[in-house]
Amino acid sequence: MAGIVCRTASRIISNQASCSSVVAVRHSHWFTSMLSLKTSVPLRAEPKKKKKVDPRREIMMKERLKKKLKKLEKVPPELIPIEDFITSAKSFDETRIREAPELCFEESERRALLLKEWSRYKRSQHQTEMHEIQEALEAQRQALEELKLESEELYKAAVSPDTDIFPFQHDGPCYTPPVTNYEAPEGKYNDITRVYTQ
Amino acid sequence: MAAPFTRVYRPFWRIITTTTSNRGVRNVSYTSQQWSSQNVKTASAASPWALHGAVCVQRLPVVSQDRSPIEEEFMELMHTMEFERSLLADHELKLLDDAARMSRKQEEDYDSDEEEDYKDKEIVTAQDLEDIWEQKLKEFQPALRSQGNDQKDVSSSERCLADSLILLVKKDVGSQKLWLLPQIQWQMGETLRQTAERALASLPGADLKASFLGNAPCGFYKYKYPKDIQKEGSVGAKVFFFKAVLSSHKHFPLEKNSFAWVKKDELQDFLKPEYLKQVRRFIMAL
Repeated sequence: MAGIVCRTASRIISNQASCSSVVAVRHSHWFTSMLSLKTSVPLRAEPKKKKKVDPRREIMMKERLKKKLKKLEKVPPELIPIEDFITSAKSFDETRIREAPELCFEESERRALLLKEWSRYKRSQHQTEMHEIQEALEAQRQALEELKLESEELYKAAVSPDTDIFPFQHDGPCYTPPVTNYEAPEGKYNDITRVYTQ
Repeated sequence: MAAPFTRVYRPFWRIITTTTSNRGVRNVSYTSQQWSSQNVKTASAASPWALHGAVCVQRLPVVSQDRSPIEEEFMELMHTMEFERSLLADHELKLLDDAARMSRKQEEDYDSDEEEDYKDKEIVTAQDLEDIWEQKLKEFQPALRSQGNDQKDVSSSERCLADSLILLVKKDVGSQKLWLLPQIQWQMGETLRQTAERALASLPGADLKASFLGNAPCGFYKYKYPKDIQKEGSVGAKVFFFKAVLSSHKHFPLEKNSFAWVKKDELQDFLKPEYLKQVRRFIMAL
């Protein structure tokens, strides 16, 4: 194989008889000087490394890469910002400050008294609510007692949990009742909520 | 043993019933979740009380309640306080800018080239936008909060949209016609909740769909039959009430004399005092 390459090289050179100096200038590594030994590229190549060291080295390289990757992955992911907790820069804008009106004495007194009246009203409301709830619970307890006196099985059926009730759904009260046969106007909207991924 | 025997009679009777029912129950398996007819075989075989299941159907409020005077005052106070402590919004800034530009226009030495960001704001000012929005709001006609037939037509379920209403039925009990919550006698082999569901379904002419809130009764009422009707083994009846929330809102015109939708305060016009006392405990009109 090396001999064939040498012969073709020499033939090419003899064909190109026009080029004068064959020895001094080396135009490519394929053709070395004519005076030196006839060698080819495969002969002059670096000797092959021994097989034992190679797989070990490759394995070491892979392990090092994996360790680096793990170190990078250990960094905790960036937390998703809670938009409600970030005060926007608009709140700190000085041009937006509203002039606070000065309250006269009567007005501030009226406000203070109204707040106290309100707290009293709310307290009594809460008490009546709690009382009503206690009454209802007591009524249910007594009903279950009576049922137990009547028959054990009915009592057990009554006390067993009801699986069908949840999920429970009910539309709460609005300001105006729903209009019968109402056709809502059609429209488009662009949803600009920001979606974060970790 | 003679004298104390009569006093001990009833609890002794009850002990017998509970032990017999326990013995009957132990032979039957409890594997199935569904209540099979076998399990309720020996229930209350010897109890002197007839069992009835009744349902308390509530039509929950459709519209929010009107505010009381103190609530109105407080609402106004809260609005003013929040307004005073707030910052100017974008819309308000635009309004101020437009007003300032208008005042600058009125001056004699007005030079339109001095204006910055001139382009679109001349055409539609913030005030114009406000007017447009007001116009759009006026085009929508909401339904009226109160239909006007509040006090009269008791059989319509559309009255008093701000309160929760309860269904009452006129029924023959013995010799009298009484207003009651819909009830029906318990049959062997069903739970009391199923009795209540049957009571609701068997109302003549009404197609009401309600979702029951749980298996347990919310209240009970027991009464003794008058002496002439009392036989051996039937002293009186026990009625167990179950709560339900009306789910379908079909407006079937119900017969005026046999059905009524009433608020909690109006119950006293319809129900007997003893019955009312028990029923009021579990109906919450908050």
